[in-house]
Amino acid sequence: MNASVSVRRGPCAVTLVRDRDHWAGRFVAMASPCDVLIEDVVSQMQAKQIVDAVAACAWRIEKKFSRYRPGSVVWDINDTAGAVVAVDDETASLLDFAATLTQLSDGRFDITSGVLRRAWTFDGGARIPSQEQIDALLPLVGWNKVQWNRPSLLLGPGMQIDFGGIGKEYAVDTAAALANRAAPGVSCLVNFGGDVAVVNARQDGQPWRVGVERPDRLGSTAEMVSLHRGGIATSGDSRRFVQSSGRRYSHILDARTGWPVERAPRSVTVVADTCTQAGSFTTLAMLQGRQAEAFLKASGHQFWIQ
Amino acid sequence: MTGNDDIGAKLAAAACALLGTAVCAPASAEESTNAWSIDSSFLYYGESDGRVQDVSAIVAAQRDFGDQRKLSATLTADTLTGASASGAIALDGPQTFTSPSGRATYTTPAGEVPLDDTFHDTRFALNATWSQPLAELYTLSAGAGFSTEYDYRHLGANVSLARDFNKRNTTLSAGLAWSQDDIDPVGGAPMPLSQMLDVGDQSHKLGSDSKTVLDVLVGFTQVLDRATVLRVNYSYSDSSGYLNDPYKVLSVVDPLTGDTITRVPAEEGPTGVYLYESRPDKRAKQSVYAEMKRAFGARVLRVAYRFMTDDWGIDSNTAEASLRWPLGASSYIEPQLRYYTQSHADFYRASLIDGEPLPQYASADFRLGDFDATTVGFKYGHRMANGSEWNARFEYYQQTGSIPSQQIIGNQANREQYPDLSAVIVQFGYRFGF
Repeated sequence: MNASVSVRRGPCAVTLVRDRDHWAGRFVAMASPCDVLIEDVVSQMQAKQIVDAVAACAWRIEKKFSRYRPGSVVWDINDTAGAVVAVDDETASLLDFAATLTQLSDGRFDITSGVLRRAWTFDGGARIPSQEQIDALLPLVGWNKVQWNRPSLLLGPGMQIDFGGIGKEYAVDTAAALANRAAPGVSCLVNFGGDVAVVNARQDGQPWRVGVERPDRLGSTAEMVSLHRGGIATSGDSRRFVQSSGRRYSHILDARTGWPVERAPRSVTVVADTCTQAGSFTTLAMLQGRQAEAFLKASGHQFWIQ
Repeated sequence: MTGNDDIGAKLAAAACALLGTAVCAPASAEESTNAWSIDSSFLYYGESDGRVQDVSAIVAAQRDFGDQRKLSATLTADTLTGASASGAIALDGPQTFTSPSGRATYTTPAGEVPLDDTFHDTRFALNATWSQPLAELYTLSAGAGFSTEYDYRHLGANVSLARDFNKRNTTLSAGLAWSQDDIDPVGGAPMPLSQMLDVGDQSHKLGSDSKTVLDVLVGFTQVLDRATVLRVNYSYSDSSGYLNDPYKVLSVVDPLTGDTITRVPAEEGPTGVYLYESRPDKRAKQSVYAEMKRAFGARVLRVAYRFMTDDWGIDSNTAEASLRWPLGASSYIEPQLRYYTQSHADFYRASLIDGEPLPQYASADFRLGDFDATTVGFKYGHRMANGSEWNARFEYYQQTGSIPSQQIIGNQANREQYPDLSAVIVQFGYRFGF
């Protein structure tokens, strides 16, 4: 009997190594390097199971919500804009969450604002779109133009949604919860490209130490954050911005105007109960522009701003 | 934008709805930095032949406040029962003693080393230590302790400062500890070298007394390589005040036979002449401790050596070794071996000779005599899936003492003078966090 087995290689590979006091699993998902650190209280087999579960979760969410992947839920929603679609529970929950962020930011955050990228290319270059270009896109932007009655979603023709700014943080928390289900009580740190969640405090009483990158020095870590449990997220324009006539335009767009938020911090890092909450705070803070710091202070969370 | 107070609550609620209840335990961030870790254990120490038995329960709690700020507290309750050697020598006939309270007597059968079996006590102790970084590379710890038992109260305080050097591979530390102990012996503290009197006669007893201890500690820790850590400590300890054991006596013996001088009690009281011990009211101890831990893969070997010397003439050496050996991913076994040897205090004597002038200091307490002790044991620990650990420790202790031959007089040579002692130690521990 002949059987053909296909082995997934390349970006789908998972590696596991033992470090001084933890297991470290690595893989690539959502265009980011991803880490799973597990306190050294489990066997190699258990560690492998945890990392596999986390990686599978990351790839599942990436596949399901990528706007670039034909056949993904988001692709289908955008592809059928103008007609009603019924969405599954998980997608509906993400839409509800996005709607809450829109409401809390008075419309500055909006999952329909992605079409503005047709005018804005945040590649570090100097091209600034004209007001006409932006005005042409604004009719396609605004959650208030969407009819959303869970589970029925109706986007206006030409409108698009994406879960940028929510999806990765959601994936981190969901993966961390899965890790806890695979090994209840074991301390795990899940890091998807700088968005971090820790489930369970470590038994040795030590915190996990997470480095926060400085936007002006990519790759160097400026600050070490001690985390026993909870989430950390960073929002920044270290890689994505436009510089024109001495002005630096952040990639954080105000969905109401179609223009970047003025005087937005280069980078905001927040510690919160979950990675999702931390990410929401960084996004809301960036949208505050020059008031970002005051906003974060009032929130009572631990934060770093640059 | 919506009022700031609302945002946190609304986001938390929205995140909960999104992630499900499994992910959002309420206020997990608060808890996360304030997690408690509890180490509880139950210990039994039992000496052979129905001598001292000690049962203790220990709860040690540590709370991490983040940024390396830690509070640790230990609560201990223990109960001591059984008998301990009074210091009097064995005789061919029975001996009767007045108990420490001065209100009753007890009798030791012929040929046996006298034990005072009226001994029982319950002790409670509480210690707490706070440690935090003081400045970059400096760590400050400060603690206080308190313990109380029927005849003893202890109050202590300590402070230490550690400084890291050499990319934190070297740590130097210095500490000071001070304690004040009040002793209120059952029936009062006897005057040193006063004679044990009849029941009801308290004319030789004084009230309570106290002692003060000051310790100075200097430590050095060096990471030698990725797998090896060396620690060396030097400590100086200065005690002053009442350093006697109020329940210990010496037999006064005939210079030829070596038998205790007999006495006739008025009604009820001792049948021999026994004097309460007398120790100096100062003691200065110095000790050096060196410990090396080395990891061989997942196995960790620890070897340690301590030398102690004091101005009472006691020198002691302790050597110990343990090896922690993992069994699978979640269990380990740790065999332990310890050897201890000490020389006697200058004023240690098995008995006092009738007719000779009384020395200023004298004690027949076996703990100030010459002895060796070997402890063998092992510990087994198991880490459970929920992260808690339980462990069990079993140790066997064997002590052999001797009395300098020139101190053994006449008939004493035919009798047991320094009985061997063995003890078992059994401990169960459970460590968990919440």
